[in-house]
Amino acid sequence: MVRGIGRGGRGIPGRGGMGRPPFNRPRVLMLRPPFDLLLAEPAFPRCKPAPDDSVLTQALLKRHTELCPSPTDQAAVLSLVTKLQAVLDNIVVAPGEFAACQLEEVRQVGSYKKGTMMAGKNVADIVVIMKTLPTKEAVEGLSNKVNEEVNTLMKAEGSGAVVSACHERGFTVTGTSAAVRVLITTLHQNLRKIEPDVHLDYKVISSHLAAIRHSRWFEENAHHSSIKVLIRLLRDMCSRHSGLEPLTPWMIDLLAHHCIMNNPQRQALPINVAFRRALSLMAGGLFLPGCAGLPDPCEAAHSRAHTALDLAAQDLAAATAQTLLRVVARGGHLYVLGLQPFEGGKDISLEITVWDGVVVSPLAPAYNDSPEPMDTDDKDSV
Amino acid sequence: MMAANNYFGFTHGGTQYGAATASAAYGGQTGYAVAPAATAATYGTQRAAATGYDTAYQAAAATQAAAHAHAHAAVAAASAYDASKSAYYQQAAAAYPTAAPPQPQPTYDASAAKPAYSTPASYAQGTYSQGAAQRGAAAAKPAYGAVYSATTATASYPTQAYTATPAQTQKQTTNRGNTAYDTALYNAASMYVAQQSKAAPGTGWKNYKTPGTGQPRRAKPPPKAQQLHYCDVCRISCAGPQTYKEHLEGQKHKKKEAAVKLAAAGGGASAAGGARGAAGGALRCELCDVTCTGADAYAAHVRGIKHQKVVKLHTMLGKPIPSTEPTKVGGAKKKVAGAPKIAFVSSGGLRTVATDPASPSAPSTAPSTAHSTPHSPPDKEKDEEKEDDDAEPEVQPVGQDYIEEIRADDGKALSFNCKLCDCKFNDPNAKEMHMKGRRHRLQYKKKVQPDLEVKVKPSMHQRKLAEAKAQRMMVRDELWARRRMHDVYGQGIEEDERMYWEGGIEPWWRGPHHHHHHHGMGMGYGRRPETSDDRHVLTKHAEIYPGDAQLQHIHRAVAHTERALKSLSDALADSARQKTVPAKTKVDDKKDDKADGKEDGRDNQLFSFLAEGEQAGSTSTAGDAPRALKGVMRVGLLAKGLLLKGDRDVQLVVLCHDRPTVTLLKRVAADLPHHLAKVKGPGDEPKYKVELLPAEGAVQVSDAHVGVLVSLTSAVVREPADGGDIKRDDKDVLPRQKCLDALAALRHAKWFQARAATLQSCVIIIRILRDLCRRIPNWTPLNSYAMELLTAGVVQSAGAALSPGEALRRLMEAVAGGLLLEHGPGLRDPCEKELVDALGNMPPQKREDLTASAQQFLRQIAFRQIHKVLDMEPLPKAKHATGAWKFPRKRRRSNTDNEHDAPNGEGKIVKTEEKSDCSDTNKK
Repeated sequence: MVRGIGRGGRGIPGRGGMGRPPFNRPRVLMLRPPFDLLLAEPAFPRCKPAPDDSVLTQALLKRHTELCPSPTDQAAVLSLVTKLQAVLDNIVVAPGEFAACQLEEVRQVGSYKKGTMMAGKNVADIVVIMKTLPTKEAVEGLSNKVNEEVNTLMKAEGSGAVVSACHERGFTVTGTSAAVRVLITTLHQNLRKIEPDVHLDYKVISSHLAAIRHSRWFEENAHHSSIKVLIRLLRDMCSRHSGLEPLTPWMIDLLAHHCIMNNPQRQALPINVAFRRALSLMAGGLFLPGCAGLPDPCEAAHSRAHTALDLAAQDLAAATAQTLLRVVARGGHLYVLGLQPFEGGKDISLEITVWDGVVVSPLAPAYNDSPEPMDTDDKDSV
Repeated sequence: MMAANNYFGFTHGGTQYGAATASAAYGGQTGYAVAPAATAATYGTQRAAATGYDTAYQAAAATQAAAHAHAHAAVAAASAYDASKSAYYQQAAAAYPTAAPPQPQPTYDASAAKPAYSTPASYAQGTYSQGAAQRGAAAAKPAYGAVYSATTATASYPTQAYTATPAQTQKQTTNRGNTAYDTALYNAASMYVAQQSKAAPGTGWKNYKTPGTGQPRRAKPPPKAQQLHYCDVCRISCAGPQTYKEHLEGQKHKKKEAAVKLAAAGGGASAAGGARGAAGGALRCELCDVTCTGADAYAAHVRGIKHQKVVKLHTMLGKPIPSTEPTKVGGAKKKVAGAPKIAFVSSGGLRTVATDPASPSAPSTAPSTAHSTPHSPPDKEKDEEKEDDDAEPEVQPVGQDYIEEIRADDGKALSFNCKLCDCKFNDPNAKEMHMKGRRHRLQYKKKVQPDLEVKVKPSMHQRKLAEAKAQRMMVRDELWARRRMHDVYGQGIEEDERMYWEGGIEPWWRGPHHHHHHHGMGMGYGRRPETSDDRHVLTKHAEIYPGDAQLQHIHRAVAHTERALKSLSDALADSARQKTVPAKTKVDDKKDDKADGKEDGRDNQLFSFLAEGEQAGSTSTAGDAPRALKGVMRVGLLAKGLLLKGDRDVQLVVLCHDRPTVTLLKRVAADLPHHLAKVKGPGDEPKYKVELLPAEGAVQVSDAHVGVLVSLTSAVVREPADGGDIKRDDKDVLPRQKCLDALAALRHAKWFQARAATLQSCVIIIRILRDLCRRIPNWTPLNSYAMELLTAGVVQSAGAALSPGEALRRLMEAVAGGLLLEHGPGLRDPCEKELVDALGNMPPQKREDLTASAQQFLRQIAFRQIHKVLDMEPLPKAKHATGAWKFPRKRRRSNTDNEHDAPNGEGKIVKTEEKSDCSDTNKK
C-alpha cells in the first residue's frame, strides 16, 4: 500500500482526530492505593513514645469473646448443616425420581464455613450449584424435597422438625436453634441464559457463585485467627453504625485480611494496631471512588471490592469511619466497639461528642447527585 | 448466493480434478464420454420417430446428441463440448485448468437448465473429481470402465448406486446433481421420453405415460390423454378429458406447476430449500407429496382420508405404492419407484459407481433393492440433517412440572397451561404432544436444562444470517490484515508526530492545551494523563503563583541586600585587618572578589563572603582576625521557592563568626544603607529603608514592595552554653532563641532543597497548602515547616511520582487517616538530632479540627468537588482531552459499518489508519 494514500488527509484541517496531539490520549486509569501509615512508616518515623494501647486491646478482646458464638450454638448449626449436606449430597449422587432439578455440587460457604460466625446468628450458608437452570419451580421442588428428607432424618433422630421457606436467594431451612440458608446457583455456562422472570435473579445467582470463590480464597489465605477476630469486631461495629452497614461481609473479610497481614514483615499485626489501621484506612478513603481500594482476589483482574457500594454509600461509609476514627482517638472505643451503649443506643457516628473538652463532630456527606454525570471511572470496575 | 456457492463448489471440484493425474482423468473420461453418447445415439434415432414434441427441446437435444456422438468418436471431445458449453458459464470454464477435460461443463449446463443430458454429466463430474481424489489414478480407470458397461446394460443400477454414496464430502456434489436433475426434469421432458422409448422399444412415446412403467411421477410430462386422467403434478385424477383439461388450465394446477418449475429452474438447492426448508427433519409421505412434522402427524396422515384416496387412485392406476414407511425429508427420498430404465438415470449411475468403487457389481443389483431415486432433490442441509434425524430416538416428554392443570370445581382437568411456553391446551393428548414438541423442548432447554438436546432446524433465515456472518468475517479479516500493514509503517509517523508535539518546538499558541504551560515550571509528569483533579490543582496553583513583577521585585531587593552585606563584610574585615596586617589582605580581597564569580545568593546556597584565601577556618591563618560576617543565605519561603502571590517578606540569614552582638547588629544597620546605595548604583529606583530590630536580632531592609529580614546568627550559638562565654556577652548578645531559629531556618532550607524540592508535585502541593492555611482557619495551626515535612513524607512514601491531583489527595488521605492525631507518630524533625515533633505543640482540638477538615476535603476530592477544597470555580471538562477527538472517532466508526462493502478502498484505508492511530494511543 502506498504510504501517501494511507495518510491521505493528514494535515487537512477539519478531519477529526487528524491533528490530535498524542498527549490527548484516553485516560488510562491508574489508581493509587491510599495512604497507609503502616506502609509509610519510613517516611514518618515515630518521634514520640507510642501511646499505651493496652486499654484498647483489652476492650477489643473482651468484645470479641462476647461476639463468639457459644459451643451449643455451634453444635446446633453443625448438626443441621451436616444433615442438610447429607441430604443434598444424596440428591447429587442419586437423584432417583426427583426431577425438579439436577444438582451439580453442594458447598458450604459464608461465615460458618469461614469460622467467623457471630453470636446470636446461628445461620449457616450452603450453596447448591444446579446443573439445570434455577427456575423458581426448581427451587421450590428442591426445597420441598429437602424439607421432607431432613424431617425424616430428624424424626429418626428424635429431634424437632424443620421448616423450609423459599425466598429470592434459594430457601432457608430453619430448625429450633439454628438455620441454614440454601443458596441456589447454577453452572457458569448457564449464567447467560438466565431470564429475570423465569429464574432467580442473575445478580443473586452470580453472587452465590462468588461466595464459593470467597470461601475458598478465605480458606487458603485468611485462616489466621487474628483475621477472624478482627472480622467479627468489624462486622459487629459495622452493624451498629448505620453508615457502615452497607459494607458487605466480603469487603470486611478483605479489609481485615489486609489490615492484619499486609505489612512489610508479613506477620500478623496485633489486634489493636490492626483495628486502628482498619479505621484509619477507611477514613483515609480506602473505599472511596478514585482509590485503588482493595483488589478483589476472586474477580477478574482490576476489580475492586468496594465497587459493590454505590457512591452515596461509599461517601457515607467513609464519613462514618472518619468520625469513628476521631472518637476512638479520643478514647471512645468502648462506644465504638459496643461495650457500652451510647446514650441509650444512639449512633455515636452521628452525634456531636465532647471528650476532655475536645469537640468531635460528625461530618456532612460530600456526595450529592450532581446534575452533570460524575464521569467516574470508579463505579464500574474495569 | 446459491449460484455463488455452486461456482465455488465447482471451482473446488475443478481443482481436485486438475490435481488428479491426467492419465487417470482421461481414463475416466473415456467411460464417461461413451456412456452418454451411446444413449444419445439411440435416442437420436428415437427422436426422429417422435413427433415434434417441443421444437425448442428438439433443437437442444439435437445439439446435445450431436455433441455426444462426437464425444463417442473422439475421446477427448473438447470441441464438441465446446459447442454446447460456449453459451454457458464462462467462469466455470475459467475455473477449470486446461488439463481438465470438458466434462464438467455440462454440469453447469444442467443448472442452466437446457439439455437433459447435462444432468448425468453432472453426476459424472462430481463423481469423477471425488473418485480422483479418493482413490488413486489407477483405481479410477477400472471404475469408469464399469460405468461404461453399466450404462448400457441396465437403467436401474444407477439408482442403487446413488444411495450408496453416503460420504459426507459427496453430498455437495449430490445436491448439485439433483438440482441439475430437477432442471432437466421439467425443462427437457422430451428427452426422457426419448429415452423411455428406447428403453422399451416398440412403444411410442405415449406409452411412456401408461401406468406400470413405474418411473418417477414427477419426471413425467403432464399426460395428455389417458383413460384415467391423472395429473401428476397435482396428483389427482380427473373424471374425464374435459375436467382434466379444465384442471390443467385451472389456477390451482398452474400455480403448482409454476412452483415446481420455479423450484427446478430457480436453481437448485436454494429453491428446493425454500420449498422444503421448513420441513427439515420432518417425515414425508411420498405418495401424497405431503410433509408431516412428526411421526404422530405422519401416522395421522396415513390414516387420513386424503391419503387413502391417493392410495386408491394409485392402485387403480397401477402405480407402485410406496410403503407407508415415511421418508425422512432430510435424507435421500425413500421411494420405491419403479426402476427407471431411462438412460438418463443410468447416466446418473455413472457418478454413483465412481463414488462407490468398492462395489463394481452394483449395476447388477435388482431395481427393487434400489433405495432411492434421484428424482427428489434433497438439498444440502437436509442431507446434513439426515444423520441427526436417524439418530434421534423417540423423544421423552420433558417439563411436566411446568404444566399447570386448570381444574374445574369438580376437580376434573379442564385445560393445561404450559408455563414455559405460555400456552394452553384442553386435550391431554395435545399436552403430551406439546411436551414432546420442539417448541416446548426448546423452551425447556432455554429455561431449565441447558444440556437438553433439541434437534436444530436451520431455517432459511438462519442460514442466510450465517452466510452473511461468514462474509462479514471475511471482510473483517481483510480489514485486519490491512490494518496490520498500517501499523507497521504507521508507527513511524506517530513517532514523528509526537516529536513534533512534545519536542522543543512546542507551539503555545497552538490551541487550548493549557496544561502545557506548566512545562515551564518543570513538572513533566511524563505520559500520565491529566485528570480533572490535576487540572484544578494546576489552575489554582497558577492563580496563587506570584507574578513576574513581584518575583522581580523580590529578587532585586534580595540581591541588592546580599551584595550590600558582602560589601559591608569586606569593609568590616578591612577595618579589622588594618589594625593587624594592613596592606596585604586588601590586595588579597580585591583579587578574591574577582575570582569569586558569585554575585549574590540566587542559587539559594550560602553566599560566602570569604575569599578563597581565607578559607572557612581563617583563624588558622596566623594573626588573621576572622571576618565578623562570614556569609549570607536565603532561607524560608524564598529559598524554598514557596512564595505566593502577595507574599512580601523574605528572609536572609547572616552567619557570623562569633555570637552576634547588638553592637554588631547596630553597626550593620548603620552601614548597610551606604553599601546598598553603592550596590544598586546611583539613581536606581528602589529606595531602601533599613530598620534595626534588636528584639528579632535582625535588620529589616524594605522598599515599596518587599521586606527583607536579615537575621544574624552564628553556629556557635548552638554550642552548649558553658560558663564564661555567655556570661561575658550576656548583655550584648542577641536573643539566643532568635539566633537558634535563624539557624534552624538555615537547616530547614537546606533540608528542603535536598529532600523536598526534588519530589514531584511536592512544591506545588505545599504552595496549595499554604494557600489553604491562609484561607481556612482549621488549617492555620499547621506551621509551614510541619507542612513541608508532612507533604514531603506523604509524597515520598507514595513510592512513585504523583501528579499534583494525586499528591493533594494523598495528603488529605494521610491527615484524614489520623496521621496528625495524638496517637500518631508525629512529624519527626530531620534537622534536629533529638526526636523532635515538628508539630508537637499543636493542641488536641486543633488536631481534631484539622483532621476533620481533611476528612471532609478528602471526600470532596473523591467526589469530584476539588474546586470546593481549592475554593475556585469548577473547571469545565477538558474538551480537548476527551470530547474533541472522541466525537470524530465515533462518527468515523459509524461510517465504518455502512461502508464496509464500499468497492473503492479509499474509505477503508482512511478508516484503518484512523483505527491504528486510536489503538496506538490506547496502548500508551
